[in-house]
Amino acid sequence: MVRKIIHIDMDAFYASVEQRDNPELKGKPVAVGSPGTRGVLTTASYEARRYGVKSAMPSKVAARLCPDLIFVRPRFDAYKKVSDEIREIFHQYTDLVEPLSLDEAFLDVSENKINIPSATIIAKEIKQKIKEKTHLTASAGISMNKFLAKIASDMQKPDGLFLIPPEKAVEFVEKLPVEKFFGIGKVTARKMHELGIKTGYDLKQLSKRELTRRFGKVGSYYFQIARAEDNREVNPNRIRKSLGAENTFTKDLIDMQEVRNELENILEILHIRLKKSNTKGKTLTIKVKYSDFQQITRSKTVDGWIQDKSHIRSLYEELLDQVEIRNGIRLLGITLSHLNHEEHENKEDGSGSQLILDL
Amino acid sequence: MKFIVTSSALLKELQNINGVITTNPVVPILENFLFEIESGKLTITASDLQTSMITEIDVEAKETGSIAVPAKILLDTLKNLPEQPVTFSIDEESYSIEINSDNGRYKLSGENATDFPKVPNVSDGFSVEMSSEMLLTAISNTIFATSNDELRPAMTGVYLNIEEGNSTFVATDGHRLIKYQRSDITSDNQNAIIIPRKALNLLKNVLPAENSSVSVEYNLSNAFFEFSHVRMICRLIDERYPDYENVIPADNDNIMTINRTEFLSSLKRIAIYANKTTNQVKLKITGSELQISAEDLDFSNEANERLSCEHDGEDIVIGFNARFLIEMLSNMENPEIFLKLSESNRAGLIVPKEQGDGEDLLMLVMPVMLNNYT
Repeated sequence: MVRKIIHIDMDAFYASVEQRDNPELKGKPVAVGSPGTRGVLTTASYEARRYGVKSAMPSKVAARLCPDLIFVRPRFDAYKKVSDEIREIFHQYTDLVEPLSLDEAFLDVSENKINIPSATIIAKEIKQKIKEKTHLTASAGISMNKFLAKIASDMQKPDGLFLIPPEKAVEFVEKLPVEKFFGIGKVTARKMHELGIKTGYDLKQLSKRELTRRFGKVGSYYFQIARAEDNREVNPNRIRKSLGAENTFTKDLIDMQEVRNELENILEILHIRLKKSNTKGKTLTIKVKYSDFQQITRSKTVDGWIQDKSHIRSLYEELLDQVEIRNGIRLLGITLSHLNHEEHENKEDGSGSQLILDL
Repeated sequence: MKFIVTSSALLKELQNINGVITTNPVVPILENFLFEIESGKLTITASDLQTSMITEIDVEAKETGSIAVPAKILLDTLKNLPEQPVTFSIDEESYSIEINSDNGRYKLSGENATDFPKVPNVSDGFSVEMSSEMLLTAISNTIFATSNDELRPAMTGVYLNIEEGNSTFVATDGHRLIKYQRSDITSDNQNAIIIPRKALNLLKNVLPAENSSVSVEYNLSNAFFEFSHVRMICRLIDERYPDYENVIPADNDNIMTINRTEFLSSLKRIAIYANKTTNQVKLKITGSELQISAEDLDFSNEANERLSCEHDGEDIVIGFNARFLIEMLSNMENPEIFLKLSESNRAGLIVPKEQGDGEDLLMLVMPVMLNNYT
């Protein structure tokens, strides 16, 4: 049976909530994040995006691109409230809801509570209800699997609704530029371009072996999605096992100082994600992918909770002793696992953390 | 082979040593008790390879022999029998065991006694004498602070440093540290060993509370404890114990004196309102008043109490895990204690105002970081 999957994505979520709640911000370039030198943006409003301001961009760079940019500190409680409201709407249609973050979710509406056969009508209704309830807009993507639905929701942003019908899926992916693929980042896309792979059609010409040889484990995923295939189910009970951030570099890193600088940037993004989801963990892992796509991970587990920046920094510094540069590093990542979600932290400033004896 | 024994007496001995037996042992035969009979005496052994316990009981028997008996079936049978003499008849060819009681007949299959692992001897060891009461106190004072972190094996046991005059027991999990010194241990040597938590827990359960003598023999790999008719031998943790002396601050001169039970009862009430993850309580000491408070923002719970205390030093606000404080204070007996502090992010010390005879107890606890702007 062909499945009907909807991907809902709120438009410039944090920034839109801020503009909704503070009329002075309406129509202006707004960035949610801290303006400090080491700060990173979480979201930029569409007005700001016109200047090239993007999420996860260092605040300093964003301010240079858009001198009138208004920085707003994130209010995660407000976002959480909206998130709960939209999830309630999703559940009016199906319980097969897999939230990806506060502002994004997959819905499997192959069978739904109101027996509407058309996923497009459901998506329209959901968008309408979100607008009535939250005064915010969302974009919806509809197709037969998660990969396609996710791409579809991005096609007409903001306030978009885009359907990739099953019979058009293969053709659609063939024409899709590789940089639009969900799961292919800008660095990988550039590398594909260098190999003459510009579209899904080009990607489909490579064998699975060729893909894994060039891109490692993720190659077999590329092989599937180039054929518009994705069998992953919408899993409503997905419990996050780890939370991380990583970055692939346009130029391989060849000295430790560069590695440290990049880790510091990744730490900024991870820190925001940790705060956003109120997450803490017991194990810190750093991932290093070399220029030849060989990958190593090094991890450390502690007794208490890992959450604050300085703690993470001291742990990855320790792990760096076990990392060599070899021929150059193309990707670095920091991941926190052994998370605990049942337990909520009250504060986000490292308070409440048990101090440890230096034994 | 045949022997007769009182059901309740046998049960009592088995329960003394049953704690050694693990549910899923490395070698299946360790789910058994080893029974050995010689000259009217039944010697029973239980082991998990790391720790073994041996006890003895007089029985009516004419022969000599041995058998491994399934522990759980035997215990369950004895527990449910009214007190009476029971007869064990063992076929040493087939290892079958038959138990006869007034109520009926029970048949179970045992295993070959020679398959039961040999219990090691402590050879070329040193010996120490101590009273069972003292050892019990030392164990209960320290064992709760040992670590569960298998990555730091040394900290999963209690460190015992034997010196002429003073012997020291130390336990730490990295958050708190207990140091308990005794001057009344008789020893002719100086050595340090780390005793695993499991062995100490077993000892704690079987050591007689009335004052009797425990003799300990040990070498680098094993320690052997003997008291009344029970013996225990355990493998020691062969690791370097962390340098604990260095983390005990000597300059905590912000000193509060307080009634221990009042402090403890207050903490138990306040802890109910603390965040369940951090168990954080806030101690605010100003003048001669201690204010204890806690809050759980998730549920809008909060509580605070004021206690009077003596205080010598600057006003201070410091956070602690209430569970740690409660555990430590519950394990003390002294009516009054000192809480010695320096900074809100440095170790605090709890010591009795008056130490008991021949003992010196020090408990250290690391704070929990407080929110700066409250």
